[in-house]
Amino acid sequence: MSQKARILPGQRIDLARPVGIGFIVVAMMPLVILPLASIFIYGFAKGPVHFWQALVAPAAIFSLKLSLITSTVATVCNVLFGLIAAYVMAKYNFKGESALTIIISLPTAIPTAVAGFALLLLWGRSGLLGQLLEKTDYQIMFTTSAIILANIFVTFPLAFGVIKPALDNLETSFEDAAETMGASRWQTFRFVLLPSLRGAIITGALLTFARSIGEFGSTIMVSGNLALKTQTAPLYIFAKFNEGDVEGANAIAAVLALISFAIFSLILFTRKRLEK
Amino acid sequence: MAREMTALLNESQSFLETKTEGWEALRVTGLSKVFGEERVLDDVTFSIAEGESLVLLGHSGSGKSTTLRLIAGLEVPDNGEIFLKGRSIGHLRARERNVGVIFQHYALFPRMTVAENIAFGLRIRKVKKKDRLKVVDELLSMIGLGDQRDKYPAQLSGGQQQRVAIARALAYKPDVMLFDESFSALDPQTRVGLRREIRALLRRLRIPSLFITHDQDEAMELGDRIAILNRGRIEQLSTPDEVYNNPQTEYVATFLGAANVIEARWSDGLIALDCERRLAASVPAHSINDEKMKIVFRPEDVSLGQPTGLVETPYHLGRGEVLDVTFTGASETLMIRLLSSRRPGDTGSECNMVIKVLRNKWDARRLMLKQGDKVSVGLKSYKILEG
Repeated sequence: MSQKARILPGQRIDLARPVGIGFIVVAMMPLVILPLASIFIYGFAKGPVHFWQALVAPAAIFSLKLSLITSTVATVCNVLFGLIAAYVMAKYNFKGESALTIIISLPTAIPTAVAGFALLLLWGRSGLLGQLLEKTDYQIMFTTSAIILANIFVTFPLAFGVIKPALDNLETSFEDAAETMGASRWQTFRFVLLPSLRGAIITGALLTFARSIGEFGSTIMVSGNLALKTQTAPLYIFAKFNEGDVEGANAIAAVLALISFAIFSLILFTRKRLEK
Repeated sequence: MAREMTALLNESQSFLETKTEGWEALRVTGLSKVFGEERVLDDVTFSIAEGESLVLLGHSGSGKSTTLRLIAGLEVPDNGEIFLKGRSIGHLRARERNVGVIFQHYALFPRMTVAENIAFGLRIRKVKKKDRLKVVDELLSMIGLGDQRDKYPAQLSGGQQQRVAIARALAYKPDVMLFDESFSALDPQTRVGLRREIRALLRRLRIPSLFITHDQDEAMELGDRIAILNRGRIEQLSTPDEVYNNPQTEYVATFLGAANVIEARWSDGLIALDCERRLAASVPAHSINDEKMKIVFRPEDVSLGQPTGLVETPYHLGRGEVLDVTFTGASETLMIRLLSSRRPGDTGSECNMVIKVLRNKWDARRLMLKQGDKVSVGLKSYKILEG
């Protein structure tokens, strides 16, 4: 990487360089940069007051809160699961280990609408588990729990995918050393492995959260999309747009985009710190 | 380095110096281990006295690391027993055995400081913080790293890391110290210096130690005794002097330093070599004619003289021709082809027995030799390997 192309003797200027860089920027303009920019340009088109009013509308605030809460719960669940699964699979070799890894990783490959549909089939009134729930008075579909379940499903392998390789890279001799020094398994995990996994856990959590907070396809299938009840921020954007309230959609879109930028910067920051 | 040496050799009474002597610290009997199809260890038995250091020397795959891991409790033996300070520990978990292990790459915990690493064993043992700090301070000054206590392992050199690893193990007063190829990751200069330091330290603290290595120099320097391991079996277990000068097997002879091994057979109380050369037996011959054996001698056991005269050594090997001379400063290494003792003109198979010879600077000066020169070859001593 450090070895950049140099201008060879007899060659005045390397045209490939400005042309190459120019190509990247021009191609990204309509594909990435302009769409993102328009969120903010249109959001503030009618002035900041208008933007603020759209932002603090009760349904808007509610949708943001709901998104933050459900994403946080899903993140905690998936990080815990990822940590345990990574530890078990790094420590033990067993039959079906690779099959299990594939199944864990599957949810990201499945279209989110399919994921939502699958959850509906399982937990809905006529679903396998839904029928059992029917007898109690408890309902999961079209509630906050359904949103959390959908979030967990679609982000399932993200934390595991970051933590497992980090754990694999830790030398087994750390565990051996701790054990010969008298540490129990828990003490070894708590004092030796966990501190070394801190960066991976943070990165895994941020990835899960970022993916979770923007989830649309599965959420719209299982939540029922009821304003002030089960409407998350992405659903709110969709609903407002359908109603023709572009400003309302725009305000929340800008907030979600900013949250994503923030999370992305945090991931880059932790990565950099980890590499030190 | 000098400052650290003095720190190590400092005669002040340490909290560690409470060991009694003459007691058998570690005993391993009939240890066997099979991995899959391969018998990695086969009936290995040895013991280490209190304060003694034993080196397990062998190539990779000889089973030496497995032996260490079995003693540490990181693997389970298929057969055999392990006693530490007289108590059987074979059934105990690694964490219940109270052994100190220095791993090849030290395995210092990366997210703990030097001081936290050293204190870890005591923290696990629920030693009070005040007492922990006292031990850590003493150990840090003993290894000469008092000013590095708040650094992280990645900020230390290899040699410093190894010292920390040793201090970390010593902190909880292990009953035995196990070193797993602990010097191989260091650069040669640090390695030699540190080896001496560790040797001095262990002698002073009288902690029984087991070293695992494939490096014969290291084995010679560190071991009160050396066990040479080959394919899961101990070929010989003795003092460095004994294994070097009185090897019991060809494997031991060739593994420890260079050795010339020549096939021979008994012939009327003499030793017959190829090319109709005969050698007076160094021990009374009690063997049957034509029984095969091998003679072994070290390159420095050979002396060379003028081709016309006899060499002033107990045993005469005949005439030879210098094939190659390599000068290495303090000494020179020669490859000598032994010539047939037949008179010129005789027909018969060409002799092609090449031996390695080592001469010190002064011997080399007394009789300067170059490629093609003829010499007479004598042996100061040699050893017979039966069979």
